Amino acid sequence: MTPRLGLRAGLFAVAALLLAALGAYLLFGRGRLPIQTDLLAMLPATEQNPLAETAVQRLAHANGDRMVLVVENADDARAKAAARALGKALAHDKAFASVLAELPPFDLGQVTAPYLPHRFWLLAGADRAALAASGFDPAQALAQRLNAPFLDGVGTTLADDPFGWLQHWLDRQPWSRSPLLPEDDLLVAHHGDATQVLVTATLAGSSYDDAVQRHALAALDGAERAIRHDYPGTRLLRTGAVFYAAAARAGAERDVHMVGWISTAGIALLLLGMFRSPGPLLLAFLSTAVGVVAATTVSLLVFGRIYLLTLVFGAALLGEAVDYSIQYLAARANAGPRWQAAGGLRQVRPALLLALATSLLGYALLGLVPFPALRQMAVFAMTGMLAACLGVCWLLPALLQRPAKPLSAAPVRWARALQHGVGRLAHGRRGAVAALLLVLLAVPGWWRLGHDDDVHLLIAQPAGLLSQEARIRELTGLGNGSQFFLVQGADTEQTLQREEALEQRLQALVAHGKLQDWIGLAGMAPSLTRQRADHALLAPLLDHPERTRALLAGAGFRAGAIDAWLAAWPGTPLQLQDWLKTPLATPFRYLWLGCGSHGCGSIVLPQGAADDAVLAGAAAGLPGVQLVDKPASVSALFGRYRRYASVWLLAAVLLIVPVFGWRYGWRRAPRVLAPPVLGIALTLAALGYLGQPLTLFHWMALMLVLGVGANYAVFLHEGEPHTADKPGAMYASVLLSALTALLSFGLLSLASLPALRDFGLTLLLGIAFTAVLVPASRADGGDSP
Amino acid sequence: MRRLMILLLLCLAAPLARAQADSALLHDVLARLGRHAAVRADFTQTRRNPALDKPQVSEGRLLFVLGHGMLWQVVSPYPETLALTGSRSARVDADGQPHPVRGERGVSQVAQMLQGMLGGHIDEALRQFDVAASGTAAHWTLRFVPKQARVARVLGSIELQGDDYLQAIAIRMRDGGATDIRFAHTRDAGPLSALEKRALGLP
Repeated sequence: MTPRLGLRAGLFAVAALLLAALGAYLLFGRGRLPIQTDLLAMLPATEQNPLAETAVQRLAHANGDRMVLVVENADDARAKAAARALGKALAHDKAFASVLAELPPFDLGQVTAPYLPHRFWLLAGADRAALAASGFDPAQALAQRLNAPFLDGVGTTLADDPFGWLQHWLDRQPWSRSPLLPEDDLLVAHHGDATQVLVTATLAGSSYDDAVQRHALAALDGAERAIRHDYPGTRLLRTGAVFYAAAARAGAERDVHMVGWISTAGIALLLLGMFRSPGPLLLAFLSTAVGVVAATTVSLLVFGRIYLLTLVFGAALLGEAVDYSIQYLAARANAGPRWQAAGGLRQVRPALLLALATSLLGYALLGLVPFPALRQMAVFAMTGMLAACLGVCWLLPALLQRPAKPLSAAPVRWARALQHGVGRLAHGRRGAVAALLLVLLAVPGWWRLGHDDDVHLLIAQPAGLLSQEARIRELTGLGNGSQFFLVQGADTEQTLQREEALEQRLQALVAHGKLQDWIGLAGMAPSLTRQRADHALLAPLLDHPERTRALLAGAGFRAGAIDAWLAAWPGTPLQLQDWLKTPLATPFRYLWLGCGSHGCGSIVLPQGAADDAVLAGAAAGLPGVQLVDKPASVSALFGRYRRYASVWLLAAVLLIVPVFGWRYGWRRAPRVLAPPVLGIALTLAALGYLGQPLTLFHWMALMLVLGVGANYAVFLHEGEPHTADKPGAMYASVLLSALTALLSFGLLSLASLPALRDFGLTLLLGIAFTAVLVPASRADGGDSP
Repeated sequence: MRRLMILLLLCLAAPLARAQADSALLHDVLARLGRHAAVRADFTQTRRNPALDKPQVSEGRLLFVLGHGMLWQVVSPYPETLALTGSRSARVDADGQPHPVRGERGVSQVAQMLQGMLGGHIDEALRQFDVAASGTAAHWTLRFVPKQARVARVLGSIELQGDDYLQAIAIRMRDGGATDIRFAHTRDAGPLSALEKRALGLP
């Protein structure tokens, strides 16, 4: 070994160890595992309006750190007892900050009393319309209230509210409209033949914190088992970000294990079979491991946390990083007793560097997509490939001083046969005809291609959780949280007025059965303009107290009650800021985004399922009102980038052309480039025949196919002249590279995340086609460069 | 208090409530009431309230149709017809056209619960009230006292009296308020007019 080689290897080893130590510290040394399970964090910022992004975050986390549970049993008493037991069990667990099962005692007077000073300023829509109508007869309105069938005076008393205006207004408030009603101090619904009881539990930390997640789910599982045992027939429905995060984590862990272990084992077997000794196997994995460690450490340094998606993708990247080692090891095996470590490196280095350059180009394009998760995958891949390549160049020569056995004879024979066959078909003009035939074969497949831009490609949501969420939404009237209206105004008053304009339209949709309901602050604390207008509608009655006094006296009211009511006029309007401070407002406070330099903002939530177009129509043309629909925005972004991706792919091909032209000459460059380009074309056709709609992720995988396919052409071209005495040996090493890549990326097509499945399948097809076609790049038997 | 409304509807509609009642008499009464598919009666409702120094009295006609709801037709002191049906409560105009009154969603919940009970479940009433039956099948009294503390703070009791038909309803509120409804000339309804059918949403 030359001292220079040894020194470089030593330095590289020290650097790799330091990186590994830093990575270990970043991963495990800082308390919680820096693995990001927050699905929202993986999605790109889609909104132009920064307040809209804030609102999206606010909504996600208003409901994010709590579990919503519904205890259901056909037997009413059992359902309630089970809910109480569940509440107690969870409340005793440290994983939860607070648990709400049994309601604190309150009486109806507590709801009514705070509104009494404002009773002449708040009107329900129907009363407003009746009072504004020309033929309004107060005597008739009073008689109707006094003689309502069966019941009166529940809620507001006749003395406080003779005409029932305040009562009607309170009836329109969200807590009066909730499908859940207090019963036996629980929040209860009766759907079908069963009783459902709501229990909510707030986590003692973030849903995305690993420890919090595990503790809370374990506590819930224990409590669920207990209530199922003690109260037979009990079902527990659940929803909350914590369940989705846990499912995503479990799915990703399963994927990492499957892809990581199976591909490692498969690659090991392949290498053992080819090189016929365990030494090369260990060295190949060494440089790959250096790549993965470096990639993880750098990703953590750049991003702070690692997305689950990156980990799964990283496990699959093993198959590509191992290529560099394979090329070097194959050169050693082919050199036989003439092997010189430094000379061998000089021989493969151009191929490795060219291959690295094309890979880096491909991943750099991936990094241009403005999705946080994809950026991280690009950084991860680029660092990993660079480190793996450097490992081969600097570390391996020092460890591979002695010559090795030649490659297994049988695979080389097979490779030679395949190379010969493909080469003959592609020779000279026949190659152009063959290519044309392949294209004709592909055309019907292209014709069948469709596309799909659903956001759920990137977010796997288990069907079981989704159906439970839908059922809970139906039972409790909770909104879906991802679609909402953002209302903005210069100040509180303008914001509320704009909300009222929106809510007028929403109310019309509700009346026509196109929308179940909505929740907004202006319905609970109207704008001062509206309150003044409502107040003005009452003024004719109350500015002439004598007439009204006679009316009430005529209806039988006591003088004391009349005096007290008239004395309450005019009262004061209800101010939003005061109302927000009341306990009743607690569940709705998050709807107010506050005021800043850009003005004020609030959120209006549509309730129940509604057509997207209907909601968009409700916001159309209203100043300061905007429908924010995060899934739709992300889907639109997917679609936009999917359309760009085809252009990028072409751009990437065009970027490679001058590199190849410079290296192989302009006349030969098209032939070298043909296998990866045809591979991509055939992959697209195959996807069409398989009926797979194209997604952004298919296109991203095609970019990698281009990079990897170009690598194979380069390896074959650069390596062939050095193995002229061993026909087939170079192609055998290329096929070995392809097989390892097929193994790891192919396994991705079994991943739980649709995006990764698409990615894996495309790579599987693309790499297979390219690897088979690649002998065509040298079929004209041209000179070595 | 929608539940009280439901309870009253239930008592009028009880025949379909085949579920076991807590006493044989209650069971008998429900069975007896259920023999009539549609009933007409004249009503007088007298309401007392601490805010009033003289009672409010209204008079009118009631049409109850099993499984569909009722028309509460006030004649005095003002003319008004209310249609209280499973899916909504509405004010009926002169042409029999119902116009929904506020609280759509609440009403649809009432409808759901009501339909549950008409499907044979007296559970809802038993969940909300302690029921005591007294008298004989020919002259009975059912007394409902709310179980729920929240409701009991407002509502004292509801008493139903009757024989072959329901004859009187007495509601006592905690604040001293009281509503008494007496029915007279109760009879099987016979065929419904087109206007009544339209108001009740019947074909």
